[in-house]
Amino acid sequence: MITCDEFFTELGDYLEGRLSPEVREELELHVSQCHACYVLYDSACKTIRIVTDSGSFDLPPSVLDPIIDRVIAKLRTERA
Amino acid sequence: MNFLSEVQLESKFGPFVAFEKNLGFIPNLLRAQTHLPRLIEAQASLESAVRLTEGAIPRVQKERILLGVAADRHDTYCMIVDSKVLSSLGISEGQIDDFLNDYRDADLSASEVAMLDFCLKLSRCAPSVVSEDIGRLRTYGFEDKSIIEAVVTTALAIYRCTLSVGLAPEPDFEPRKLAKLPRTAIPSSGARSGGPLNGVHRGAKTKGPYVQAPYRSSETFAPYATLYKTHGFIPNFFSAQTLRPDLLAAEVEAVVAILLPEDVLSRLQKECILLAVSAANLNSYCVAVHCNLLRGLGMPSEEGDQIAVDHQQSELSESDRALLDFAVKLGAHFSEFSRDDVVKLRTLGFTEEQILECEAVTALNDFSNIVQMGLGVEPEFEPPFAYQQNKVHLSPLSDPPTTEGFVGSHSTTAIEDLDASLVVKTQAGDLEAFEELVRRHSRLVYRTLLAILGNSEDAQDAMQDALSRAFQHIAGFQGRSKFSTWLVSIARNAAIERLRNRKNEESLDECVLEGDREFRPRQVRAWGDNPEQAYSKLEIRQLIERGIMALPAKYRIVVMLRDIEQLSTDDVARQLELSVPAVKVRLLRGRLMLRELLSPHFAASTKEPGR
Repeated sequence: MITCDEFFTELGDYLEGRLSPEVREELELHVSQCHACYVLYDSACKTIRIVTDSGSFDLPPSVLDPIIDRVIAKLRTERA
Repeated sequence: MNFLSEVQLESKFGPFVAFEKNLGFIPNLLRAQTHLPRLIEAQASLESAVRLTEGAIPRVQKERILLGVAADRHDTYCMIVDSKVLSSLGISEGQIDDFLNDYRDADLSASEVAMLDFCLKLSRCAPSVVSEDIGRLRTYGFEDKSIIEAVVTTALAIYRCTLSVGLAPEPDFEPRKLAKLPRTAIPSSGARSGGPLNGVHRGAKTKGPYVQAPYRSSETFAPYATLYKTHGFIPNFFSAQTLRPDLLAAEVEAVVAILLPEDVLSRLQKECILLAVSAANLNSYCVAVHCNLLRGLGMPSEEGDQIAVDHQQSELSESDRALLDFAVKLGAHFSEFSRDDVVKLRTLGFTEEQILECEAVTALNDFSNIVQMGLGVEPEFEPPFAYQQNKVHLSPLSDPPTTEGFVGSHSTTAIEDLDASLVVKTQAGDLEAFEELVRRHSRLVYRTLLAILGNSEDAQDAMQDALSRAFQHIAGFQGRSKFSTWLVSIARNAAIERLRNRKNEESLDECVLEGDREFRPRQVRAWGDNPEQAYSKLEIRQLIERGIMALPAKYRIVVMLRDIEQLSTDDVARQLELSVPAVKVRLLRGRLMLRELLSPHFAASTKEPGR
């Protein structure tokens, strides 16, 4: 079985689903037998899911529209 | 006949001794590279692992692949050498003649004929190789180890043929026997109905890689450790060959000897050669890798993209453009190559060593292109957008199968077209068109600014600056990248300027290869199944926003663009002008730091058994 260090080296690609089936199997075997790496992997997956679904920084148009309006008005004035 | 001069090496030079021992002579192809002995060592390392060692395929069969490819390319030099070697292995002159007349009618086993069919298809039109071709080899009983060996042997044949065209060494033996042979020694693809050589199988490609690739660790497998040092990551090209660590190790050795030294051509020049020739060979995988490596060497991504599309229109110096002309002709249009091309480079001031190294880099590139397409290595990066657009015009095949793996390119095209017409209008002074463009991308711009600056007030001020600047400079936008990429780069520069004016400057730079220890997790309590359910949506949002804002800027921006903006890793790299490996490192660190910050809120309140 691979070591925790080797698991950590591949973790980024594992989270991104970018591993070949063979390497993924090695990592799956590792998390099935190593509690610390299981917790790390599981909570990192959940972090990504929660962050992605959170709608964070999802600005209502009321925030950005006035900025754009100001810029366009300024450019129009400069041109005139 | 030699195009380049030679120098005398001592008779005990290792590779020469090895060839003398194995083949009974030192091929003139090697002697023609004496200006740079490390190139001879690179070729010797490849030949020794691929050709001279008994592997999964019998030695004689490998020699017939080499001879078959050489004959198919009408490479007289290699044909003479390879015939001689075959004859030294006990194959009679008559059998060699029969083979060269038509290998399908030369008393070879059906499986060997199938293998030769495959190897010739690969050498002649690599982009047309599909997984069915590999499947066909398996039906003849070939295992993955043999298939990799056949692909790499074909690649070695191409490597030698490219060098023989570029160096034009004197034949090692009298071409007596071969003079009688018909012009087309190997039957052309059209002669075989239903065979695998009948052009491109459209839509038939299933996802690669086509062969098994067991896991190898960089801690125990030395070639991987080398690649981490040279590339910063393990390209899929190499990890697809782990079933044959011997071949992989020889390839890494050749890469190190040919690409790393900077005493003749610079690494940048070599990467440009690899990019331009891969583009000419329609190899999207290698184009994407070399664009990325060039970005890592500090070349702006637009410039790399331009080299892939048409290096003549790039900002490179006249002599570097000529160097690429030379390499593309040698690597992709070898039948047009002549002594005049060598003379032209000399006239421009290139030395014998530089011309020789350019040829070796080109040969190595052709080798890699063949291996990648033969094994169906999947890309780790997207090729540049502009290259994808242009490739249709460059391609002699209306639908090269390698483009099929890139998901989403069609939708990108549509958005791009929409932006393009608005950009043209804006460049003509249409403010309403500009307003439409800006509203379309305002969130991306704002989040980038917020991620760099870390607070909304500064982000809003910077946004005004950036949008005004974009309008002022729109005339300079040439459409080489997406409009959104260009707009974000202006916003990013505006934000970085503000950051510099602050007292406690937060750097966006770092060495990507620094250790990972400090990013190892400290919170090891398991999380519940849906830990966010204990909180309201608003609370979750606040937790995440606070968490992301608490990250150092260099991680914050990557997490923001990847997980909030949901750009692909490649797009994040392009937006931030970072290499993909650098983005991957920062993304993982950012995510793990965020996990650490969220853990006290989401970890299960009950302790784990036994803790």
